[in-house]
Amino acid sequence: MAAKDSPLKQFEIIPYSKTEVGSYDISFTNSSLSMVITVAVITLFLTLTVNPRSLVPTRMQLISELMYNFIAQLLSDTVGDNGKKYFPFVFSIFMFVLIGNMVGMVPYQFTFTSHIIVTFALASVVFIGVTILGFVNHGIKFFTFFYIPGVPFYMHPLLIPIEVISYLSRPISLSVRLFANMLAGHTLLKVFAGFVVAMPFFTGALPLVFIVALTGLEILIAFLQAYVFAILTCLYINDAYHLH
Amino acid sequence: MVDEDKLKDLKERIETAKSINTPIPKKKKESGAGFGFKISTEIIAALVVGVGIGLIVDKYLGTKPFGLIIFFIFGAIAGFLNVYRVMRRIEKQ
Repeated sequence: MAAKDSPLKQFEIIPYSKTEVGSYDISFTNSSLSMVITVAVITLFLTLTVNPRSLVPTRMQLISELMYNFIAQLLSDTVGDNGKKYFPFVFSIFMFVLIGNMVGMVPYQFTFTSHIIVTFALASVVFIGVTILGFVNHGIKFFTFFYIPGVPFYMHPLLIPIEVISYLSRPISLSVRLFANMLAGHTLLKVFAGFVVAMPFFTGALPLVFIVALTGLEILIAFLQAYVFAILTCLYINDAYHLH
Repeated sequence: MVDEDKLKDLKERIETAKSINTPIPKKKKESGAGFGFKISTEIIAALVVGVGIGLIVDKYLGTKPFGLIIFFIFGAIAGFLNVYRVMRRIEKQ
């Protein structure tokens, strides 16, 4: 696929085993391995650090509690009291994206969030879940979500398709944002890494300095994108409760 | 009675400490490029959905090319609507 020294080679999927069910290829790939590592890191980190349950937390326990508080606060700010029961869902998504991005920052490690199919699947789970939630809460009245009150009646044939398209574009914008940020960032890092080798004498040190700075920026973006994913999930849950 | 004064003092100190600590920085400062990216994905996503619906309508109703044209325009308007909503949400914060 990609050439040997291409900056895009890092996104190549390498299957470790050939498994096919029907016509579907469900091989265990480097992407799957990366996800397994992510889930293992999250589970081990959260259980081990909170295990002592000390009243005066250690540093590691504090990190876990900060993450918990961060999402709990986010949910109560955006959804209110109704939001409490969605905490496990939002927290899982936030941690999966955040730690997935962070695991991807480790050199030689595959970044699964840089594949649109992964982020689109995550966004679809949110989208379908929120739509079902809307129907459970409001029944058939959920369709009034697409009906804007206080507009002249002859405008509705125009506005309803626009609202429906706007609603359907949610999972796409949610997934494209995360995927493109990770893809662009990691490609940029590899391109600059290529400059280090290609530049003559000691001028290669200059792009090396850039890489260090960019790595810091990438870690910020990794956090920011996980945060954006979580807050948009919260906002969509809020929409499912309060039409308009 | 000294104890009560002490308790009051302690309470006040706790309150001030709390008021200093509560405003956790919720939002990291975003770069201009990040902001532009957010806006552009909103437009593109709506256009993709609009074009997709248009192509499906054309295929099953045989209205080529009017479905595509109409839903492309709807998609573009929906994209601007999305951008407007994002901007309004940012203004609110």
